[in-house]
Amino acid sequence: MKTLKIFLLLTAIFICPNFALAKNADELFNELRQKILQVKDYVAEVNLKIDVAYMKVPLLKGKLYFKAPDLMKLERNGGISILPKKNINLTLSNLIPTGKVTVIDMGTTLYKAKSLRLIKVVPDDEKSSIVLTKIWIDEQNLLVIHAETTTYEEGSLIMDLEYNHFVNYSLPDKVKIFMDLKDYKLPQGLTMDYNDGNKKQENIKKTLKQKGTIEINYKNYVINKGISTNFFKG
Amino acid sequence: MIKPLSLELYKIFKRPRTYISFGLVTAIALVIQLAMCSGGKEFLSFGMQGITEQFAIQGNVLNGYLVAYIILQSLLIHIPLLIALVAGDSIAGEANMGTLRLVLTKPISRSRLVIIKFTASIIYSLLLIIWLAVVALFLSLFLFGKGDMINMKSDTFILLLQDDIMWRYFCAFAFASLAMTTIVSLSLLLSAFAENSIGPIMATMAIVVVLTILSNLELPLFNLIKPYLFTTHMIGWKGFFDDPVPYKAIRNSALVLSFYTLGLLLMTIIYFNKKDIKS
Repeated sequence: MKTLKIFLLLTAIFICPNFALAKNADELFNELRQKILQVKDYVAEVNLKIDVAYMKVPLLKGKLYFKAPDLMKLERNGGISILPKKNINLTLSNLIPTGKVTVIDMGTTLYKAKSLRLIKVVPDDEKSSIVLTKIWIDEQNLLVIHAETTTYEEGSLIMDLEYNHFVNYSLPDKVKIFMDLKDYKLPQGLTMDYNDGNKKQENIKKTLKQKGTIEINYKNYVINKGISTNFFKG
Repeated sequence: MIKPLSLELYKIFKRPRTYISFGLVTAIALVIQLAMCSGGKEFLSFGMQGITEQFAIQGNVLNGYLVAYIILQSLLIHIPLLIALVAGDSIAGEANMGTLRLVLTKPISRSRLVIIKFTASIIYSLLLIIWLAVVALFLSLFLFGKGDMINMKSDTFILLLQDDIMWRYFCAFAFASLAMTTIVSLSLLLSAFAENSIGPIMATMAIVVVLTILSNLELPLFNLIKPYLFTTHMIGWKGFFDDPVPYKAIRNSALVLSFYTLGLLLMTIIYFNKKDIKS
């Protein structure tokens, strides 16, 4: 009898807290959204690496300014900045649908050898550009580790996120974005290209690779200090 | 060698027509710069439509480097024609005026005379390229400022950082000078054939225009002959604005142009040595 009591006590200690911590999908999503939305604006030093078949862009270093919900500007000390022009841009706050949503619990799953909670989020608003977002969540730290978003008009967008210094704000140190891209072509009679003999090879590369990858490394975040909306104009 | 060369240069720079080229280069550069000042953003947004649909591009895109590139793209087709004005006139012009026989009475070989005229025409074309650099590049930088440069090829969008551009321009101008040397030798050969300067100038223009069209037409028939046309390689300067720079292709183009230059010069010397000069 004593043994049974000890067994029940141990069960209560080790199992019950897990039940208590396991939130339902709606709660989890709402908590996650609240955590992400606490960042109203930020400035961070970034290294931006663009890997798109038809673009040859060197590593861009600069300051990335963000203001919720969707204002973003990369400033490069007088240089040209390039950012993807998607309705869903490079931030999580844009990736996670706002307003009323339906959250579907997909249970726990292994992602990169890590046990994560997978939820599917479908916006109830028919006007939303997002069809569906699948989010892989580190439940313990309340962080999005991986997200896949399908849109009506702009294909799909996949994000891989790595955190280190700003876990409390859900701000990543490194983001890798995989996105669908349209083709780019200008008439050769207009550009009068110099043929360097690599045309055939490039065309093969292009047909094989229709997705683009953008990698951003963030450091030195300055969070919620206030940025004027006018700053993002022009 | 120095004295006859300076005499030849004196002849070139004494003629008012020589300065037409410098005036024309300045005028075209200024017109393009003015057009870019007033409607450059619309022009760029049309060209960059394919990119701006998917990417937001911010910053001083319309800067001096890009404007200079647009000027070079428009002008380096016309510069050969301006060079033909002088090189095409160098032998035929003297034949027309009746001074060629007089020149040849001096103790100077015909081969040497051709080389002197060739060198003088090259000096003229170099000065024209330097002037082009001044009005196209430095004036554009003064008017539009510095910045990263975008280069839009038919299937590639290239971004060059501002610290990585100036050397490309110097190399591009050096390559353009080599390309113009080919035009000088072509013009000189045609000039040796003719008795008046209009013929070689017009013939050089016709050859350059026709071959440029052939070089840019995307038809399988022309693709076979394109690698052998000097006009295909004349735009090798553009290779310096690629990333990475296709050094192998540029070296190949430089070799083809050098081969043409030496071949045409040799033909001129051979023909001129056998020519029966009647005036």
